[in-house]
Formats: sequence, structure tokens, C-alpha cells
Amino acid sequence: MSAENQVHPQTKHAVMATPTHDEFSRQEFVRSYKNYLVQNVHSGNQTRYEKIIKPKFEKTHNRAPKDRFEVGKEMVHDPYYQMFSSLLRTSQEMMWSSCQMPVNRDLENLNQKIKITKGTKTLGSLKLDTKLQIPRYHTAVDIHCQPGGYHTEVTEDDASAGLVYDRAVHIYAMGQLGPYNDDIGASILLWLKNNHPTMAPRKILDMGCSVGHSTVPYAQAFPDAEVHGIDVAAPMLRYAHARAEELGEKVHFSQQNAEQTNFKSGTFDLIVSHILLHETSQKAIHNIVKECHRLLKPGGLMVHGETPPYKNMGPFDAFMLDWDTRNNNEPFWARSHEIDLEKLSKKGGFDPKNQFETLIPSALQVAEAKRSKVFQGGDFGGGGLWFIYGNMR
Amino acid sequence: MNDIKKLQRKARGERPVFFEDPNVDKLISMIMGLAGEVAVLHDRSDTLERLLQTKGLVKQSEIDSFEPSIQVQGERASWRKNYLSEILRIIESELEDQKSGDREPYEKAVKRVETN
Repeated sequence: MSAENQVHPQTKHAVMATPTHDEFSRQEFVRSYKNYLVQNVHSGNQTRYEKIIKPKFEKTHNRAPKDRFEVGKEMVHDPYYQMFSSLLRTSQEMMWSSCQMPVNRDLENLNQKIKITKGTKTLGSLKLDTKLQIPRYHTAVDIHCQPGGYHTEVTEDDASAGLVYDRAVHIYAMGQLGPYNDDIGASILLWLKNNHPTMAPRKILDMGCSVGHSTVPYAQAFPDAEVHGIDVAAPMLRYAHARAEELGEKVHFSQQNAEQTNFKSGTFDLIVSHILLHETSQKAIHNIVKECHRLLKPGGLMVHGETPPYKNMGPFDAFMLDWDTRNNNEPFWARSHEIDLEKLSKKGGFDPKNQFETLIPSALQVAEAKRSKVFQGGDFGGGGLWFIYGNMR
Repeated sequence: MNDIKKLQRKARGERPVFFEDPNVDKLISMIMGLAGEVAVLHDRSDTLERLLQTKGLVKQSEIDSFEPSIQVQGERASWRKNYLSEILRIIESELEDQKSGDREPYEKAVKRVETN
């Protein structure tokens, strides 16, 4: 078995959907399929671009394509790119389908297990708001092709979207978010430890927390802190609450929109989000930063984890990174990666002097490197780096 | 495979088309769906072999060195013939039409029932 075939399994816990033998094989197939595309097919697009498409363009225009739009106009006609795209889109659909199967088969039971009976003593809490309006940017299309998106409920006290999502995230990242899918949170924590070593937040908020996979590590790192996770989607929060309880971590989940929460001003020492911003909208992103400013105590810190922005990226790379905008139901992906973050902070009320944006190493990769000093193989996909943007209040 | 009835199956949002002929996109999806099912079958027979080996019933080497008898080879050949015939049904049916001389354009049949 070569290093690239090394499997990084998801750690099982009691509230997750347990697949049958064949269901598990189906999910494993999708993971291998995605891995294959990343490692063996994706790079062929660049070869096609460099060897055929770019020279042809240069011949007719006497210059290279100037931006991702010009690259795109040519690439969409390339048979290799067409095949790659069709395969990638299919892998995404198969991923959701393979993760839906065990949930669908056992939905009543799973929802029953997740439902925490009233009066049961819990570490954290769950507060749902049935009247909360699901924002248009979540109902217009189902984000990253999850059928029903984050919010759809198919039965009473339904957690199906969360059950599906917890497993799908692991397959989507091909295990590269770690056995608990918590690498983005863990990486921000590692950055905090190195850059703000004395920070001891008493109140922490995770915005757009979905199943709380990135929220839990904050509760683990700061056991004395009060940790809150908010999301607009009830099925995610039901699952997140049960999952956190199962993992023995105290997190308070509530159904709220990060644009306008019901927390009092100056409540939090630390506000974080993990790949939330690109799943909102131009208007919402500004509202969220403004809300962070309102909710932070003076000296408090806002940190948003994302994938890197397009600036300093060549037109071809930007075009490839933009694939998800058109083809994976991520409508705000492109624009969110082009926002002037300094202006965003300023508009939100922050002092741009205290604004930061940087690439940070993946905590999982740092740990792996420590574990195996001799050999560091395997594919860490996104290069083992996360992008963070934030501001000190 | 269980029926997916409860959960929504299609993600809201128009599915992109990459090839000039949208049917090619659909074919890719079908082929990969089939590839996935073959992988599931592979894992299942792999599981069986491993269980048999663990329980000391059959050794892996016995499976690898298994030589089907003439009788078994014949039975397998016959299974494959039926299997291929099902998959290639579309081609066979074309031939059958030609053989039976049943080559009347479909539109004619429509006209016939519409006018008579």
C-alpha cells in the first residue's frame, strides 16, 4: 500500500449514522474517486492550458489571457476540461447520495437517538428558533449540492441534514480534516497559541457552526470558557448538540443568523467562523463583520477561516479555483474571494490597523509531521494551509 | 440498496452541462454510478473471502488456484452470454427487427391508428 492510499478514517461516535457493509463501500468508493481526480486528473487541465489553449490564444490575440474569465471562455470548449468537470460534478453528487443512504434507511431511529429528552442533564444546550427566516443565499440553490441544503427538514425533530453532512464533510476532505473533521478549528487554535499565547477567552462564539465539528476544539482548548455555536439550520444544530454531548464537550448551540444575533453587545472575547463567509452574500458578509464588531469586547478577536483569496493568483489558477462557483452550487465563492478585506473590516467598524490576513498551517499536518519525521508522504490536498482573515476590536 | 424516499435527492439549482451534447454528461454519471457498484461488489466478495479464510473454511490461495471444471466453465460461459445479451439488448433488438423485416417507420404506425 503506497502512502497516497493511506486511509484516514473518521472516528465513530454514537449519534452518527452507521453504514452497512455496502453503504460503507459506496462511500469509500467516492472518497477514492475524488482522490483520484485530485491526484491524477486535475493537473491535466493545466497541461492542456499551457500546451494547447494558451498558445492558441496567444496566436490569435498576440497576448496571453488576461484574467480568469478569458481563460474560462477557452477552457469550457476543451474536451479534457469537459470530462474532468463532468467527473468532478458527478463525484459530488455521488458523495451526497452515498451519505444519504444510511440516514434514509434508519432515519426514525437516528432522529430518536439524537433527540435529547427534556429534563436530561446535559453539558451544553440547544435553543431553536422556529421563526427564524432562512436567508435567501441558502434557499436559492442548495449549497455545494447537498440536496435540501443545510436547513431542509423532512420530518419532526429532524437532524437528517446534519447526519448526512457530518459524514460527507469527511469524504469531501478525503479525511484531510482529521478523524473529527476539526482541522480548521484546530488550525486557528494553533495559530492563536503561537500568536496570542496569553489569550484566555471567557466567551467564544462560532458563527455558522453547522454540526459543530470546528466548534468542539475550542471547548477542548478552553475548558473554562463558555462556547457558543450558531447556525441558521435547525437539523445541523440538533445533530451538533447531540454530537458535542456524545464527545463530552460543553457547547451552547442556538439557531441564529450571524448577520444579526440576539447576544448583547460586547459579549465575546473571541469570535470565529470556518468557511462560512463564502456561503453568504455581499450584503451578508458586511453585516456579519459589523455584527462581530458589535459582539466583541474591546481587545477581543475576530478570526474567519477560509480558502485563500484570488489576488496574487494567476488567471489559470483563479479560473480553476473558481470551478465551484458555477459547478458546485457555491454562488458566492468567486466574489467572496475577491473582497477587499481591509475595507470590509473598516466598514464593519474595526480599525484596519488591527486587521490581519494570513495563511496558517494545518494543525493536522503539523501533528503528522511531528509523528513521522522520516517520511512525510500522502496528499494533503489543499496544501495543508488555511487562510485566515480577522481583526482585533 | 435501499430506496431513497424520505430525503430530497436533487440539489436545488440547475445542473451544469459540460459537453456539447448534454447526454454525454448523463452517460458519465451513469458510468461512474456503475463503477461505484462494481467497487461495492468487489468489497463484498473481498469480505467473504477474508471471512472464509479467518474461519479456516477456504484459503485465499485455494480461490486463486481454483480451476473451474469443464462443467463450471460451461455454466459460467452461459451466464456471461445471458449477461451480455441483456447489456447489449439494444443492438440485438435492432438485428431482430431487420431479421423479421419489421422495419416500418414508427410514424406509419401512429398514422395508421390515428386514421383507422
